[in-house]
Amino acid sequence: MDDDYYSIDSILSENQKIQCTFKVDIPDMGHLDGGHERDIKAQSRVQLPLWLAFILIYSDYADFTIPPPFNSRVRNALNAEAKSVKLSALVGAGGFWYGFGKMIMRLLDDEPANEMSGLLTKSFRNRLVEVIDQAQHFAALGPAGGGGQSGDAALAFREGLEVTERELFLLAQESAKRTKQWYESTDRLRR
Amino acid sequence: MALPISLRDSITPPELELIASEELVEIVPLISMERTAFISGAYGPLRPPNKARIPLWMAINLKMKKKCHIVPPDWLSVADFLQERLTQETTQPEFSQFPFRFTEIAKLLLDTAPDDIPNSDKIRSLLKDIREARQAKSRDGLQKIDHSELSLPNLCSMEINEIRPFFVRAMGVLTQLTRDPVADSRQFGV
Amino acid sequence: MAGAPSPFAVALGPIELDFGALPESLFQQLMRHWLNERHAPDILPVQAEVLGALLDHIRRQTDSVQALRGDPDSSEAEHARIMLVQTEVERVKFVVRSYIRTRLYKAQKFSRYIAATPKVQEKLSQTELDHAKRFSQLTENHFRVSVLQALPPHQQGLDDNTPFTPPMISEPDKSRAVFVHARGECPPVRLPDGTTMQMKKGQIVLTPYAVVEQLLEMGNVELI
Repeated sequence: MDDDYYSIDSILSENQKIQCTFKVDIPDMGHLDGGHERDIKAQSRVQLPLWLAFILIYSDYADFTIPPPFNSRVRNALNAEAKSVKLSALVGAGGFWYGFGKMIMRLLDDEPANEMSGLLTKSFRNRLVEVIDQAQHFAALGPAGGGGQSGDAALAFREGLEVTERELFLLAQESAKRTKQWYESTDRLRR
Repeated sequence: MALPISLRDSITPPELELIASEELVEIVPLISMERTAFISGAYGPLRPPNKARIPLWMAINLKMKKKCHIVPPDWLSVADFLQERLTQETTQPEFSQFPFRFTEIAKLLLDTAPDDIPNSDKIRSLLKDIREARQAKSRDGLQKIDHSELSLPNLCSMEINEIRPFFVRAMGVLTQLTRDPVADSRQFGV
Repeated sequence: MAGAPSPFAVALGPIELDFGALPESLFQQLMRHWLNERHAPDILPVQAEVLGALLDHIRRQTDSVQALRGDPDSSEAEHARIMLVQTEVERVKFVVRSYIRTRLYKAQKFSRYIAATPKVQEKLSQTELDHAKRFSQLTENHFRVSVLQALPPHQQGLDDNTPFTPPMISEPDKSRAVFVHARGECPPVRLPDGTTMQMKKGQIVLTPYAVVEQLLEMGNVELI
């Protein structure tokens, strides 16, 4: 999600496709649709990766619809209980739900963009503590641990983490391990 | 690369230990030494059995060679004090006040000079309970995080270091998800 | 300070949170700049004077150790003293090395940005700047030889600025959050949410680096 030219994550998250509706005829570009038509006709709908959609929408050649991972059903579920939603199922394994949402946000006008920002930040904050709690729980178990009292709900939540949340999980887990290691170390090498 | 990944934007617990070891501690020397100019200042003279104040690393160094006793700071030598702090920590919503590097200093002293600390086992277990009570509170801090500012009064050095990676990242994500913070950021500051 | 007063009125001494309680020694100054450098996303102004003075001091300490060592009559106490002086020299050298390595890492990471931005170059020492410039040259040559020369000329740029694409020259991410400790009373600063923050002495906050960049430069705050 970082704005860095050489960020692989940033490049990958632009591969998400959105449904675009062309406003004008575009000659000789029919292959983009995977079909056999020679031209793209106005009003035809095509799934395009974000990196391509950006410039088309920006130049007013095409319009787009809010993609399914952000439709009203998902919004309602997130508003009701953010932790029960499997974000990874919405964008596929290794998918970027927040990164995707941020890109969509950039394509929207003020009001819907603010709404999107609200949805993203609220969902993130409502899930964050659980992400960190579980990461620290796993770090405390140590290498021999595992299982423990982590119930089905906890497991389902972990499976539903999208990439940015997984990264936070790992950061918290690593840090807790590093600190635990220090607390438990008794070797005094200083002489 | 010039720097290992773990050191790129954070600091490690052993490095925090090194920094904490610059703080001054009282000792009862078992050897004599003239007043000596060190880089961090002049220390001594050491005249047994007169107490002297020297940096913690120096005290540990002498202690390991059985050349001094360390006088633990009050907060580490009175179990009642820690007991009372623990009660405060578990009943009050805010972090109670400790010396900024108390975790590092307590561990260094308990590891190297347990015989100089009365009730060291009791103190150790109190410190562990206090640590756990405080951890629960930094979790509350996480609930309040936004893209702008989070105040963390009385948080200590080792605690900050443990929460740093994900607090920093979480604030970064919220910055990205908030509209146009980058454009605004040019107007921040004084 | 928050926290109810304790009925056990045990003073928090002699080890305390001595932030700025006493005038900082040179070594304490270096440690502060070392921590600032470690935590700041940007490369900070080089502390040439502090570094130079400390290196001189290390040299003097090492010389006097040599002199003392040459004395065959030195006592056990004298040995302990020599050993302590040497230990301290090693501690200081560790921090000096780590400080320099941290800066070197940033000089490499942002080498192309540094090479292209005169204002930033002022913050580097001459050797750091030479290193950054050479490193950016090496990187660019490598890109050219391994990929770019095979592309059409208009695609060979290394500093394109295309809409919807981040700039090709990476800059420090000043929106990254840092833990900040106020060394004294601070002037008010503007926060990303539009409100104002005025840090009191001793206050600790997590906030984007851009917010406190100037406070850090003026020495009102330190990164912890």
